[in-house]
Amino acid sequence: MKREYLIILALLAVLVAWPLLMGNYAVSQANRAMIYALAALSFSLLAGRLGWFSLCQTTFAGISGYTVAILGVRFGLPFPLVVTLALLLTTLSAVIFGLLTVRSRKVGFLMLTLALGQMVWALSFQWVDVTGGYNGIAGVRMPVYGGIDFNATRVFYVLVTTVTVAIFLAVWRLYRSPFGLLLLGIQENEQRMRALGHPVALARFSAFVLAGAIAGVAGVFLVYDMGIMSPSPLGLGHAVWVLTAAVLGGYRSLLGPALGVAVLITLETLVAQYTDRHMMVIGLVLLLSILLMPRGLADVLEQRFKRKSKPQASATTTTQGEEP
Amino acid sequence: MKYAKTLIIGSVSALAVGATAHLQADDTLRIGVIGPTTGVFSFFGEQQRMGVELAMEELAERLDALNLEVEFYDSQGDAETTVDRLRAMESRDNVDLVVGPVLGGTGLAGLEWAKGSGMPTVISYSAPEDITMRDRAENVVRAGWTGAQPMFAFGEYVAEELGHQRIVMVGQDYSFPYNQLGGFLKGFCAAGGESVERIWHPTGTSDYSSILATLPDGDALLYNGAGSDGLAFFQQYHDFGIDARMPLLGGSNFFAVGDLPEMGEQAIGGLSALQYAEGLESDTFLAFRDAFWAMHGDEVMPLAPAEHGYVAFKMAVDAFESANGGDRDAVIAALRATEMPDAPRGPFHLDDYGNPVQNIYINEVQEVDGRLVNVPIKTYESVSQFGPFEAEAYLAGEPDSRDFPPGSCADPYYD
Repeated sequence: MKREYLIILALLAVLVAWPLLMGNYAVSQANRAMIYALAALSFSLLAGRLGWFSLCQTTFAGISGYTVAILGVRFGLPFPLVVTLALLLTTLSAVIFGLLTVRSRKVGFLMLTLALGQMVWALSFQWVDVTGGYNGIAGVRMPVYGGIDFNATRVFYVLVTTVTVAIFLAVWRLYRSPFGLLLLGIQENEQRMRALGHPVALARFSAFVLAGAIAGVAGVFLVYDMGIMSPSPLGLGHAVWVLTAAVLGGYRSLLGPALGVAVLITLETLVAQYTDRHMMVIGLVLLLSILLMPRGLADVLEQRFKRKSKPQASATTTTQGEEP
Repeated sequence: MKYAKTLIIGSVSALAVGATAHLQADDTLRIGVIGPTTGVFSFFGEQQRMGVELAMEELAERLDALNLEVEFYDSQGDAETTVDRLRAMESRDNVDLVVGPVLGGTGLAGLEWAKGSGMPTVISYSAPEDITMRDRAENVVRAGWTGAQPMFAFGEYVAEELGHQRIVMVGQDYSFPYNQLGGFLKGFCAAGGESVERIWHPTGTSDYSSILATLPDGDALLYNGAGSDGLAFFQQYHDFGIDARMPLLGGSNFFAVGDLPEMGEQAIGGLSALQYAEGLESDTFLAFRDAFWAMHGDEVMPLAPAEHGYVAFKMAVDAFESANGGDRDAVIAALRATEMPDAPRGPFHLDDYGNPVQNIYINEVQEVDGRLVNVPIKTYESVSQFGPFEAEAYLAGEPDSRDFPPGSCADPYYD
């Protein structure tokens, strides 16, 4: 119990200290990291709780981003309305996608989300009148309220951090709630949950819609961060990137996806500075980490902390005891 | 409690490392060059990089005098990565001027960023016309072209010199080909053409049999696209024997030198238009080509992205010199006043909107010294991004799209 609170406090301290100590670029990197942490959280909610590997979470972010761009730039609607409508529309599309995918399992689900994601990507590319096609929609800006320009990197950081932390805390509560346990139960043994009288399909569906809505929030931030909405964030590359980050960090834990995103972005930034072969270096790192840490970074760290904090417990249990 | 300590020490040291990376002495000028040096479009980014490297070698003394450093960044051909690298340039690496991006989408993302940042930017090969038209920014100029720019002249040439009246166009369904066709139509109709029928196909199409089997009749066919789609179309067009009925014309990148060996002898005589040609015979071009070959080996032909990178870099160095340093306003003013009487592609200057006014070459594929290359057979001088139109009138019109401008030259739009 206490351990978890300490980790959360330490993380919050880092998040507060970051903009005070770091340069502009590091802060903008942190903004991107948090946006993708939300996308990876959305992915992990399904992968970690239900064993559903989705390739369309970035699509929800994209739908939300396009809604913001179209309503904000083309129609000039005010910011709060734009964001509300974007989240509503994203949730609505998650409802539709959810109805289509709720009965599917494992590979079937993966393929369905792949197909849906690619359809929306193709649509964004070819429905030129609405989406601007390949060129996209430029000029997406945050408003200025009371002399505070939300486009400024550090102001934007405060906003993104607050929302991201709030969502992570909410999901943390959710994972420990009866609903979260039900999801885990469904993944473990669906028949038993059904026999116990739980609404299995409804639970899956709700989780899918919730994950879609979280991705929608990521999409809102993504488009304001970029200033332009184009089909590229909806492409398969980005979906796979999010999957990679979640697997690297550990999609079963709450903070794993965020950790994976942070590590991947840091790696990309650092390695790209020195060589054009950065994709190879990153690929190698991924290969090794997945071979050595199949359950992800977060899991490895967790095991470490457990051993350190409970030396007596591990000494008494014979199964765990490599060292006292 | 131990882990809490580890956490705190860990995070503090991470912050410290990050903070030191930010400190840099600043009496040097820095140019950041961005392009896709990895990924599917790495060819274009590599070309730009080679062009810039050549310019760096030629201008080495002037770079020393200016205390100027150059840093290369990889956009991966992705809009988001482009914006991220641009941010790194500005706030991490203290770059004073950006050369690039290279591709269409990354160019627009770069423009959007440059508007917010105010960074002097010389867009190299990226061709969306709005970069220097409807969305133009004071601090962004272009060393290259717009999609429509070479096609005004090509449309005129096809109608006037070749006498084709009705054209069938098959093209890749996205904004660059729309813009190319827009330019073509405006030039073609003004020069007495009759109509252009459009057939768009999604990018990545490899089988054109359904299109070719139901092709409408016309005097010539314009393939408005490039790359692997263009190659596949070229082969199937000849397999179907349609080349005997309708000659094949190309969009600006269709007969790209990299694809010519695969097209083979059937490509000879193929016509297209660009502000560049690897078969140019001018002294400045030959000097550029030979220096390029001496540096990078003669199996690599310098193409437009290389020349545009080379020229963009020269524009940047000239601007720093006439601004006497890195003062933003002075650099931007100098960039906007750019005149390049001796660019390898031919002389050019920037118009009021920051895009080159330059020669457009009608190129024919010919075999020269055992290589297939594009040789200019006609030159249209001083063509601006607005073609034969007044800037104001052009900007008042709709931007080119999937079905604009109208395909029939009898449409009132052309009056």
